Amino acid sequence: MSMNKQEIEELPEYGVDSRYKSQEERKTDSVALMEARLERMKNLPKEQMVRAKLVQLKLKMEEFLNKSFSYSNNYFTEYVAAYIDTLYSKRSEFANDISVTPVYLSQVINNHREPSQEFIFKLMVHSQKAFSKVSTFSEEMWYNVYFKQVVNNALNTEDEWRPEIEKQVKFKELI
Amino acid sequence: MNIVELSTGKVFDIDISSVKKEDYKSLYKSRYYFDWKQEALFEVYKLTVIGSTDILGLISLERFPDEWRIHIRLLTLSRENVGKDKRFERIAGNLLAFAAKIAVREYGVLACVSLRPKTQIAKNYMNKYKMNITGMTLSLEVPEILNLINEYE
Repeated sequence: MSMNKQEIEELPEYGVDSRYKSQEERKTDSVALMEARLERMKNLPKEQMVRAKLVQLKLKMEEFLNKSFSYSNNYFTEYVAAYIDTLYSKRSEFANDISVTPVYLSQVINNHREPSQEFIFKLMVHSQKAFSKVSTFSEEMWYNVYFKQVVNNALNTEDEWRPEIEKQVKFKELI
Repeated sequence: MNIVELSTGKVFDIDISSVKKEDYKSLYKSRYYFDWKQEALFEVYKLTVIGSTDILGLISLERFPDEWRIHIRLLTLSRENVGKDKRFERIAGNLLAFAAKIAVREYGVLACVSLRPKTQIAKNYMNKYKMNITGMTLSLEVPEILNLINEYE
């Protein structure tokens, strides 16, 4: 049965037009909303703050994986550092929880050492536990981010490695 | 992210992506209620079933980074998905959750999604999506914004 315009506009699913009519209207709303938000924030439990930071990290990692190319060379370690700093007040406590030395962890985070497969496995298991009550978190997430970072770095430094590599590679035209 | 076909209960995976210049040619007011060409200067996204180009819902957003807020300017569903004979369920929720994801990704703990609906629509949004009300504005913040993201994952 077809509906007239008024009937449709009264349906909640029809949609929302919430464009501000003027800058003044926007400003007035912004001030009132900010006051109310700050008041609500005062009562926000610490667990919800941790939860928000973990979801933010997950969304950033997903965004990185969906991008075709990124300029930074250190996303993987930036995400590892953000993950640890969300859950621990000292990074050495995390190192202890995943049975690596604080020195090893520091070297990985500061890009002085490549993470071992075992380190990534431990990160995978730890984050699945941390995310279990927060949100879904793909088992392959850390691996995918790490390997994308490796490819990203190779492309970012192509000008440096290609000239020497070109000299070492021969190819005979076969077709 | 998915939507449900009400007549069959079948679940369809969906994609939400930027509206392209050529899409505006098919965004008729008769099917999408608003003049979407007017929104071209803002961030406009479309919801489609994966593998299909048919646009089932649209949302336009404005970012207010100094307020850690994403404001929903317009949100609508295609005409056949409105009313008791609608084909799919969960389109509006997915669009709202999409805006929520951008807000949480960009602003973390301080994230906020806001909109200013008409009274009869406001009640529905408050009940369905657990939105807070401040004056004329409905908003989602932590923790409700995280619950919505989880629900529409």
